[in-house]
Amino acid sequence: MTAPPTAGRASRSDTNGPSATGSSTRRARRTDPAGPALVLPFALLFALFLLWPLAAGLWTSFTDRSLVGTAPSFTGLDNWAEMAADPMVWRSLWTTLLFTLLTTPPLVAVALLMAVLTQRAVRVGWFLRFSFFSPFLLPVAVVSLIWVWIYQPGFGMLNGALTGMGLPEVNWLGDEGTVLLSIAVTTVWWTVGFNYLLYLAALQGIPSQVYEAASLDGAGPWQRFRAITLPLLNRTTAIVVLLQMVASLKLFDQAYLMTNGSGGPGYAARPIIGYIFDTGFTNLRIGYSSAISYLFFAVIIAVSALQFWLFTRKENTA
Amino acid sequence: MSAPTQAAPAAAPRTAAPAPDAPRRRWRVSPTGAAATVSAVVLALLWLLPLVWAVLTSLKPEAETTAVPIRWLPVEPTIEAYRLVIARGDIQQWLINSTVISVLVTALTLVLCAMAAYAFSRTEFRGRNALLLLFIAGIMVPPQVLIVPLFDQMRLLGMVDTYWGVALPQVVAPVMIFILKRFFDAIPRDYLEAAHLDGAGHLRVLTSVVLPMSGPILAAVGIFTFVQAWNNFLWPFVATTDPALMTVPVGLGTVQGAYGIQYAQQMAAAVLGAAPLIAVFMVFQRQIVRGVTDAGLK
Amino acid sequence: MNVDPPHPPPPGIGRRSLLAGGLAAAGLALSGCGSTTAAATGAPVPIRQWNLFTGGDGARMVEMHERFAAEHPEYDLRPTTYLWGNPYYTKFAMGAAGGRSFDIGTLHLSRVKGMGAGTLIDPVPREVLAEFGITEETVRPALWDKATVDGELYAIPLDTHLVVTYYNREVCEQAGVLEPDGTLVRTTGVDDLFDLLSAVKDVTGQYGIVMDTTGAWRQFWSLYRQLGGEMELEGELGIDDDKALQSLDFLRRVSQEGLAPESSDAPGTPARFQNGIAGLMLAGNWELPTMQDAGMDFGMRPFPGVFGDELGQGDSHVFVLPHRREPDEEAVRASVAYAAWMLKNSIVWAGGGHTPAYLPVAESEDYTALEPQAEYRAAADDVQLDPDAWFSGSAAALMAEANSVMAGVHNGSSTPEETLAAFKRAVQKLIDTPPPV
Repeated sequence: MTAPPTAGRASRSDTNGPSATGSSTRRARRTDPAGPALVLPFALLFALFLLWPLAAGLWTSFTDRSLVGTAPSFTGLDNWAEMAADPMVWRSLWTTLLFTLLTTPPLVAVALLMAVLTQRAVRVGWFLRFSFFSPFLLPVAVVSLIWVWIYQPGFGMLNGALTGMGLPEVNWLGDEGTVLLSIAVTTVWWTVGFNYLLYLAALQGIPSQVYEAASLDGAGPWQRFRAITLPLLNRTTAIVVLLQMVASLKLFDQAYLMTNGSGGPGYAARPIIGYIFDTGFTNLRIGYSSAISYLFFAVIIAVSALQFWLFTRKENTA
Repeated sequence: MSAPTQAAPAAAPRTAAPAPDAPRRRWRVSPTGAAATVSAVVLALLWLLPLVWAVLTSLKPEAETTAVPIRWLPVEPTIEAYRLVIARGDIQQWLINSTVISVLVTALTLVLCAMAAYAFSRTEFRGRNALLLLFIAGIMVPPQVLIVPLFDQMRLLGMVDTYWGVALPQVVAPVMIFILKRFFDAIPRDYLEAAHLDGAGHLRVLTSVVLPMSGPILAAVGIFTFVQAWNNFLWPFVATTDPALMTVPVGLGTVQGAYGIQYAQQMAAAVLGAAPLIAVFMVFQRQIVRGVTDAGLK
Repeated sequence: MNVDPPHPPPPGIGRRSLLAGGLAAAGLALSGCGSTTAAATGAPVPIRQWNLFTGGDGARMVEMHERFAAEHPEYDLRPTTYLWGNPYYTKFAMGAAGGRSFDIGTLHLSRVKGMGAGTLIDPVPREVLAEFGITEETVRPALWDKATVDGELYAIPLDTHLVVTYYNREVCEQAGVLEPDGTLVRTTGVDDLFDLLSAVKDVTGQYGIVMDTTGAWRQFWSLYRQLGGEMELEGELGIDDDKALQSLDFLRRVSQEGLAPESSDAPGTPARFQNGIAGLMLAGNWELPTMQDAGMDFGMRPFPGVFGDELGQGDSHVFVLPHRREPDEEAVRASVAYAAWMLKNSIVWAGGGHTPAYLPVAESEDYTALEPQAEYRAAADDVQLDPDAWFSGSAAALMAEANSVMAGVHNGSSTPEETLAAFKRAVQKLIDTPPPV
């Protein structure tokens, strides 16, 4: 099989011997008491910390529940109607989408570039993996502290470099036009290492004979990349794009920290989760913020479903 | 990368996987290889620049950090900023909290998910498929959707500002069950049947046959969970307000110095907060790369 | 620190122990592991204090805390500073909702109602406060009244702070606008003030005065109150359009006639005053230490009487007791003792420009002799607090909305009429939002 490992992994359980279900049913057809017992602890936590808040959140979205804990009353669809007419909801949703559009292409392309370079480079693999991946291991607060310092007007590294080249300073995080872009750049630096590792694994799954055969045909490095590597990486790219888009839609941490919780000038860097947070915990309106949470949930589901559809369609035509 | 993982259960379960990229190294240096090496190293240095800048800043006296035009190297290097940060004691407390919570989350995830994965893989019971489907659906729920109701619920349960309140919701990662189940599914049933014939119950089979054969995948799930728990921000940020219970990302992100912003100290705190995982990565790079890749490809 | 980390169950443990662990977790959580009975052991009583002070105020608070700790070994004071504004208020609300993370917190008096007096904030036991020497008679009456909600006292006021005028003595001397004793001449009315500003502008060559145009609410409310304007924030927004327009028009003129910058943000404003771009500044009294540290020769006086008395918008820093899941009299007592000590020693705090709320300090010779505090302290008696609503007060929604629409009159991008209309729309939306308290 020449497919990258992701393909191998996904199909493994289907190809590797008789299915597990088959084997255990053959052994004991009756209900096995050990099964429920083993699932129970996880199922309890699942019910307690996923199903419960999920249901409670939906219910809360129909009430005027407040963080200060006065008795909530049922308000029907009021929150949902308010949400539909609230420009800040749509503004923050747009900010989230814009961020996703800004970050996904570089996070895929740079990761691929890094992986290909690492694959081709000689004797520095450890160093490359270290420098490309280690930012991913930094806590977000560390990333934010470092980059706020880098973006600092006056004595930050970036503006220092700009003025050193005779260019004017940019108030990266203080200007409505650049704040989201600055956060996007930080995000690429911080998280590209994860996609890089996925690509690296995929590249290493391509047998070298494939390249050698192509070399004999006289294909140059670029042709080999275009004709062999890229197509073989299709599946990985699809997975990376899918994971990346969902991850970018969940923007909150670095946007919150790098704007000191303000959402940036003119709220230009407040994503939908930021608005959920502000509504629920700063403005104390748990009910309304639950309704917005569900809107966000719907967006995530819609994007995932769309991707799943595109993904499976591509698979079928390939 | 995944080839050794696949082979592991069938072949030698306890041995470490072979180095992933060792056999593919080219010995002769081609011109493109040299060009790739040079550009890769340049890119890597560029990527390290922010970290280097943070470390350099942390070694400057406070007055030097805001000098204009900026100086790259400290003129009078000092570890004063580190001394002050450590004397405050917060960062040590947060490192302890991060460790406790990450270990708690990782241990619980491994134990509970392995048990559930085994049950789904090797036992038959009523409602099994429905439950499996429910857990699959659970993967689709982003934790961010739940923060507001979950905080409300924690308040009801009296678990705001407790270790358990921070840790338990992070254990609910059904995707880990599927990763483990896929692995358990691939274990040839002969092994298990032999054990069952010897009279071992499911718990025995799980602990003495299945788990020992699953070292690599358990390591992958464990490493991935640990890194995620260590760096998780949103939920710990919501669930803890007491600085004595905060994790590194939350503490560094919220608690301010009373004297205002002091860049050298901020960078020193950032370096201290980043150091443990970076140090571990330097030592166990191969294992971590594998763990993240294997568990990351959900 | 005061919580024993629960030990994770070792891997491979059975289901029963796990469940037991879970129950222990619930038990641990329910028993409120944060509270320790220190009295029984004789250990110092912990006081977990939260505040939003950095910079000059932060340094003064640290100085006071060091003295408190030295004088009171029976307490273990643990202060934590969060970022001023929403990050602090958000943590405050969440911490109080959780009910165990801190014992006493600072707050703006204007936010006490909006932060849930009676729900997130517990009343202060007056008898305990009196034991430590703080009674109604010893605190500035306007503040005590505002801290009292439905008959219960919810806050212990530490200070008053407000918008005042700073003047560069050197520049003003050259402009000939100083009294013989070296203080700024008092102006009455718009023309009088504008004449003075023109004279100062001639000296600086750039501007007469600078004010934070991204935080115009403070100036607006000062002017509007000088005109006697009232604002009703319930049902239909009650606002006096004429008075609001007059106030906004003042802000427009001062910038559009070149007497003040069209745009100056919060950090840029003191910087412009400090480096002589403007000879006067309208800003909060808390900028005082910055100017002193810069070694400037400057004086301060109340907000100019543009439309009447020299009234200035302001607020008050207070101590409040967050709601607790489980009553802990000892912790409340310790917290009240701490707050009382801070009030009695607020002469240190006054060095930061704030006017003490505790009358014995405010009337003491130590305080009345403080310069330049003496020049404006009278204004603190009549500080103009924000109108009452759950969304009003320092860093709250009303101020944020006002600041965002009013910046336009300074830079000429909107007329006073347009600004007023936008302000009314935004405020009406806030009024129509279901109140969370």
